[in-house]
Amino acid sequence: MKIQLLSFAALKDFFPPKQELILDGIHTVFDLKNYLQNINPDAGNLIKVSRISINQIIVKDSDTITEGSIVAILPPSSGG
Amino acid sequence: MTFKHITEEKLSLPTEFPALPSMGGYVLFAGIVRDINDGKQVTHLEYEAYSEMANQMIANIIADAFQKWELQYAECIHRLGKLNLGEVAVIVSTGSIHRDEAYKANRYIIDRVKHEVPIWKKEFYINGSSEWSKGCVDESHEH
Repeated sequence: MKIQLLSFAALKDFFPPKQELILDGIHTVFDLKNYLQNINPDAGNLIKVSRISINQIIVKDSDTITEGSIVAILPPSSGG
Repeated sequence: MTFKHITEEKLSLPTEFPALPSMGGYVLFAGIVRDINDGKQVTHLEYEAYSEMANQMIANIIADAFQKWELQYAECIHRLGKLNLGEVAVIVSTGSIHRDEAYKANRYIIDRVKHEVPIWKKEFYINGSSEWSKGCVDESHEH
C-alpha cells in the first residue's frame, strides 16, 4: 500500500515534511503509529499525543488506512 | 496560498462594523504576539498550519457557533509565517442582537481554534534558541 505522509511542526525534527511510504502489513492508524515509532523511537512521545488525519479528516486509532491516502500527523495544536 | 480563514498577510483590526442593522452587540478578540512565555524572553514567533484542513476546521467551528447561538455575524482569521512582537496572530469577531451571544460565541470560537485547529507556533528566544510550543495542556482555557 502506498500513502503520502505529512509531518508538521516538531515532528519535522524526526520525519520529512512530506514523504511517500510503501507499507506492508499496515492496515490501521494504530499500526502506522507503531511503525513510525519503531522507525524513530525518539519521536514516540510526540506521536502518542498527536492526532492523525486521513484525507483531512481526524481519525481514530482503529480506523483503516487505504491505498493512496494522504495521512498527516498533527502534534497538539498551538495556534492563537 | 491564502484561504478565507488562514493567511500569511499581516492582519489589521477592522475599522468598521459589519453593516447589519439588527446587530446590537459586537465583540472583537485579537491574539497578539507577546514578549514572554514561561519566563523566557521571546523575540518573535513563526506559525505554520496544515492550511487546507485548518481553513475547513475554522469554517466548521464558525458554523457550529451559528448553530449554538443566534448570531448576526462571526468571523475568524489566523495568520501564518513570521510574526514580530505586537503583531496580530488571530482575530475573532462576533455580532448578535444582544451582547451575551456575541461574547459567548467569540470565546467558544477562539477556544476551539486554539485547541483543535492544526496550527503550530514556534517561539524564538532572546538567547538565539527556538522551540515549538508543546500545545495546550491546560483544560481551564484560562490562557
